[in-house]
Amino acid sequence: MVCDMNFSELLQRVVQDTVGTNPFGDLGRVWQGQQPTLSDGSLLMFLPELIVVGTILALLFVRLFDLDKVFSGQSVALLGSTVALLVAVVQFLALKNFDGAASDAVHKTMFTGLLVYDAFGVFFKVFLLLFLQLVVYLTRLTGLPDREDAPDFYTLLFGSTLGMLLMISSNNLLMVFLGIEMTSVPSYAMVGFLKGRRTSSEAAFKYVVYGAGAAGVMLYGISLLAGLLGTTNFPEMAVRLNMVIGTHPLKMDATLLTLLLSIVMILVGFAFKLSIFPFHFWGPDAFEGASTEVAGFLSVASKGAAFALLLRVLLALVGPTTEQSGLMVPVYFYLGIAISVLAAVTATFGNLAAYSQNNIKRMLAYSTIAHAGYMLMAVGAMLVLLNATKHVPDAQVRWDLATRAVEGLLFYLWVYMLMNLGAFAVAAFIRNELFSEDITDFGGLWTQAPVLTFAMACCMFSLIGMPPFGGFTGKFMVFSSLFQAGHYHWAMWGVLAIAGLNTVFSLFYYVRVLKFMFIAPAKDDARRVKVPLTSAAGSYVFALAVLVLWTGMWGAKYLSATAHDVASVLFP
Amino acid sequence: MLELLVILIPLCPLLACLAITVLGPSLKENSHWLTVLGNAGAFTCALVALIGVATNGFPEGSQTIPLYQWMSIPGSSNTMALDITIALHIDSMSAIMLTMLTFVATLVAIYASSYMHGDPGYARFFACVSLFTFSMIMLVLSANFLQLFMFWEAVGLCSYLLIGFWYEKPSASAAGMKAFLVNRVGDFGFAIGIFLLWRTFGSVDYVDTIFNPAALASVAAKYPGLLETICLCLFTGAIGKSAQFPLHVWLPDAMEGPTPVSALIHAATMVTAGVYMVARCTNLYMLAPHAQLVVSIIGGLTALIAALIGLTQTDLKRVLAYSTVSQLGYMFLGLGTGTFLGIGGAMFHLVTHAFFKALLFLGAGSVMHAMGGVIDMRQFGGLRKLMPKTYATFLVGSLALAGLFPLSGFWSKDTILASVRMAAHPEAHKADAHPATTDGHDAHGKPAESGHGAADHGKAGHGDAHAAVASVDRTKVKLFGIAATTWYEILFWAGSFTAFLTAFYTFRAVFMTFHGEERIPEEAGHHAHESPSAMTTPLIILALGAAFLGLALGHMSAIFNGTGFFDGFLSKTIPGTAGHHDADWFVIGLSTVAAIAGIGLAWMMYAERSGVPAAIAQAVPPLYRLSLNKFYFDELYYIFLVVPVVCLAQLSRFIDWIGVDGLVGFISRIPGAIAKLARPIQNGLVQFYALSMMLATAMLLWALLVRPGL
Repeated sequence: MVCDMNFSELLQRVVQDTVGTNPFGDLGRVWQGQQPTLSDGSLLMFLPELIVVGTILALLFVRLFDLDKVFSGQSVALLGSTVALLVAVVQFLALKNFDGAASDAVHKTMFTGLLVYDAFGVFFKVFLLLFLQLVVYLTRLTGLPDREDAPDFYTLLFGSTLGMLLMISSNNLLMVFLGIEMTSVPSYAMVGFLKGRRTSSEAAFKYVVYGAGAAGVMLYGISLLAGLLGTTNFPEMAVRLNMVIGTHPLKMDATLLTLLLSIVMILVGFAFKLSIFPFHFWGPDAFEGASTEVAGFLSVASKGAAFALLLRVLLALVGPTTEQSGLMVPVYFYLGIAISVLAAVTATFGNLAAYSQNNIKRMLAYSTIAHAGYMLMAVGAMLVLLNATKHVPDAQVRWDLATRAVEGLLFYLWVYMLMNLGAFAVAAFIRNELFSEDITDFGGLWTQAPVLTFAMACCMFSLIGMPPFGGFTGKFMVFSSLFQAGHYHWAMWGVLAIAGLNTVFSLFYYVRVLKFMFIAPAKDDARRVKVPLTSAAGSYVFALAVLVLWTGMWGAKYLSATAHDVASVLFP
Repeated sequence: MLELLVILIPLCPLLACLAITVLGPSLKENSHWLTVLGNAGAFTCALVALIGVATNGFPEGSQTIPLYQWMSIPGSSNTMALDITIALHIDSMSAIMLTMLTFVATLVAIYASSYMHGDPGYARFFACVSLFTFSMIMLVLSANFLQLFMFWEAVGLCSYLLIGFWYEKPSASAAGMKAFLVNRVGDFGFAIGIFLLWRTFGSVDYVDTIFNPAALASVAAKYPGLLETICLCLFTGAIGKSAQFPLHVWLPDAMEGPTPVSALIHAATMVTAGVYMVARCTNLYMLAPHAQLVVSIIGGLTALIAALIGLTQTDLKRVLAYSTVSQLGYMFLGLGTGTFLGIGGAMFHLVTHAFFKALLFLGAGSVMHAMGGVIDMRQFGGLRKLMPKTYATFLVGSLALAGLFPLSGFWSKDTILASVRMAAHPEAHKADAHPATTDGHDAHGKPAESGHGAADHGKAGHGDAHAAVASVDRTKVKLFGIAATTWYEILFWAGSFTAFLTAFYTFRAVFMTFHGEERIPEEAGHHAHESPSAMTTPLIILALGAAFLGLALGHMSAIFNGTGFFDGFLSKTIPGTAGHHDADWFVIGLSTVAAIAGIGLAWMMYAERSGVPAAIAQAVPPLYRLSLNKFYFDELYYIFLVVPVVCLAQLSRFIDWIGVDGLVGFISRIPGAIAKLARPIQNGLVQFYALSMMLATAMLLWALLVRPGL
């Protein structure tokens, strides 16, 4: 117990937990691609985040001491994100190579249990840092922040990413809130970054107010839960929860009501981050007001981080074994269905609303909502599969099925990053050339800039979910989990049917963009777009498009195997 | 090494196609170099692969090279396995096809470089030709039915693109559409056949189906009718692709395309895909005697009808088109006899036909080139002095087509007719069906002196394929109450009569075009001279092939080792074809007489412009008109198919307009309506957003409280 210890002993333990016994020796081991020993401290595992922090500091210094003549903010940002990405990749390879994917040794905690270090978290670290890298490069190509603004912009971008990195490693309710807020606050500023534009400021303002409201609700939920359980630590939550509920069978009393209320309130926070209907209102406004690059960043990164965190929170509530969650199983089963239904409504709403949009950013904003819906279905399916104790008594089978659902989600997120970023990037390049974001102005691009059009076609077809693009495989995996879940509750088949119909709906507005790009003639007074394949912009979008195609045709094998390994870490 | 070479075969034309597509605008009239290079590269590789197969370079005589697996879903108790793979399967049969295909394609590309000179779509033409060559190679190299179907459609697409190459000409685009639509009918059956195969065998791979005699035999024993159905369905596809009765109507119209295309796609290669497919599925068809009989009947009927129509056509290319249909009919006639003599003969005819028919088409193209695009034989004549090289090569091709000894057509056509006669008199060829009695034969299958029943016509058999044949009793097979042997007897005489007709209409065309007094249409202008050497050289090379291929590879070569080179080579894939076949002197005599009679009659009627044809036409006007109007097939289809379909289409359009459009319009207004409903929600008022957040939270809580039934 803490009270038995004297202060210096406590300090000693904290320091050792943070720095480790032999930090530099371990650093060498990690660098050689080896598994860090158990004696290593948190800082080593926290290295990618530290590099991000260091980059932020460097950016601030650059700004402060007027060094941006020598090191432009962009190059500092590019360097920082590259190094951080490399370290994260090394970490991931070390974890993947030297551990049985599900062994206990992988679940290591950092900073006295506030953060967790496992393959799942590191997978998302790689995901986020790669995406950060791509976005930094994109902003460099589009020249979104000018030389003067660059340090500010990248400080915000890296700050937001840091928050996301905390989100995905959270092992404690406090870190959940901290991470989400750290992510949100810089995003508000980024949305309002186009200072001269009224819409931008308005969007940022709405985003702030709405985000603050959602955060408040979530914080209330967290405090209710923490008060009820007496802990904020994830690994203890499921056990405590059963202790608190106590009685069998489940009875509706004040405790349970409070518990449900707290769960719903926490979910509201997530729904805000994921822009789930009807918590999505900020999305279209913010995306339209923000620059295309920022919108692209928010649409992918914050969703990815939020999904990772959502999985962590839900699995902390459900607990690793059925005995621990025994009493709450039916509640979680129906929570899964409720989430799936919400997801279906969200996907439908997003697709229908995207239908009549003429601004490419606004259309993509609604499309983002729709895709969040598809991905949320996987989460719902996971909950249903995990808690279908009545139909599948064998826990191992349920975990396997749930692993598949998570695998589908991870695959989808990965492809979604590529295809959505591709679409936003093409939109940004077109905006730079045409000064327009209206789809109707995209006429004649096929003859003027075939690379942009080709990339857009790949991304759009992938977003629709057409084979052989990666989007198809991702959708296929999510849908097959839904189908599996349908065996245990009919409502999931209903969700699947709606999801299928949604795919058809989405065809119209995605293809409409291509129709203008390929078929419609250019407007007479329009500028001629020149983005050849050999230009940096052209090769950037081309590479993204090829990756989207590659994930569907060849990469699916490797990516899904990796996603499977990573997902299996979450389950015992 | 050899595997890499096999991969290179399709890769060469594919790269050429991509390069022309990308560089076409800057290459312009140099585009053909890429196609020629691609095709020549493919030919070189194919030739080496052929030699590799012949010298047992592939350990098992054949090899499947997997290239790419898109998905593989294992089957379970209640689902079928699905495996979508692209792989290349090389064996002696595909090697023969590839070598022939790439050789002809190379020559045609060289020829076309001159023929298409000055055409605005020059680059597009060569891109399409390269794409076609690639698709056809992939079709031939397919290792499963799905891939076969995919490239089956791809060659159809290329054919469509090239028939309608001069799309600004209404007749050309209509012909392209017709070819495409008619082929859909056949492909429909083909697809059903593939689905049936998949359902039956749980796989569409060749190794699990047609290369797996055990599986075939067990299915044949369990469901006797199923294999027949599959065979008929697959044959439907062949009917469409290979322009057999009643779907032959698209091929003559396909002559609207540039002549090199007619030579390559619509004579030598694509239209033989059906023949190739049926020959590929020999193991399957051998277990389906009824389906085989149908194949023969359709083939024989097509051969006869097309020859009859060919008698009166005045368009040189159309005569050749009907002759192609007719010759393809011969091939199916041979394939359907259920004898290895017939299958080997059909494949051999496929190869020889590719040479002499490509030659004839290119010759016709040469004439057309010189005559300024005029191809109506009534408008020109006596060109033999003007175009000596074209004339000489055309004559060789015609003699080969007529089947005159010792040109290539003689050997292959004769084999087919002999096989039909063999099928008609199985008792006379008993040893064929009972290879177990090999004790009466020596190792080379030469007839033994001991006189083993009717072993005079016997051949040594080896292999299990024979056993499979033996397991099907063909003598009991009946169709429409008529015994199979009777059918084959009828088909034999029909085939022999067709041989006579073939010789006649072929030389009618020769005499009308090249003999008589010299007449040149006005359109010819200054073009009226022999074609450039880029066009005549391919003609000469093809003529050499048409002249000597049969002699070199046919049964004559059997004197060296007992089995003809071609049959011996093919036997690596279809073991049964290696048997020794005694010459059937009756058939040889009959077909030679028929050919000479045909040529002689044509000489009498057409060598000099005489009144005889007109007199005959007046004597039997109905018959004449029947032939001239192509048996009214187009009209019949128009009345019985097109008109009802158009009526149905109009009805559908009406329903569509009233019902579906209304519905769709209604549905399409739903998103708008919802958006309108949602617009006040997305009103930009943060207060309202907060309200909705609160309501939604309450709803979610309520759902959780109510649903678990607490």
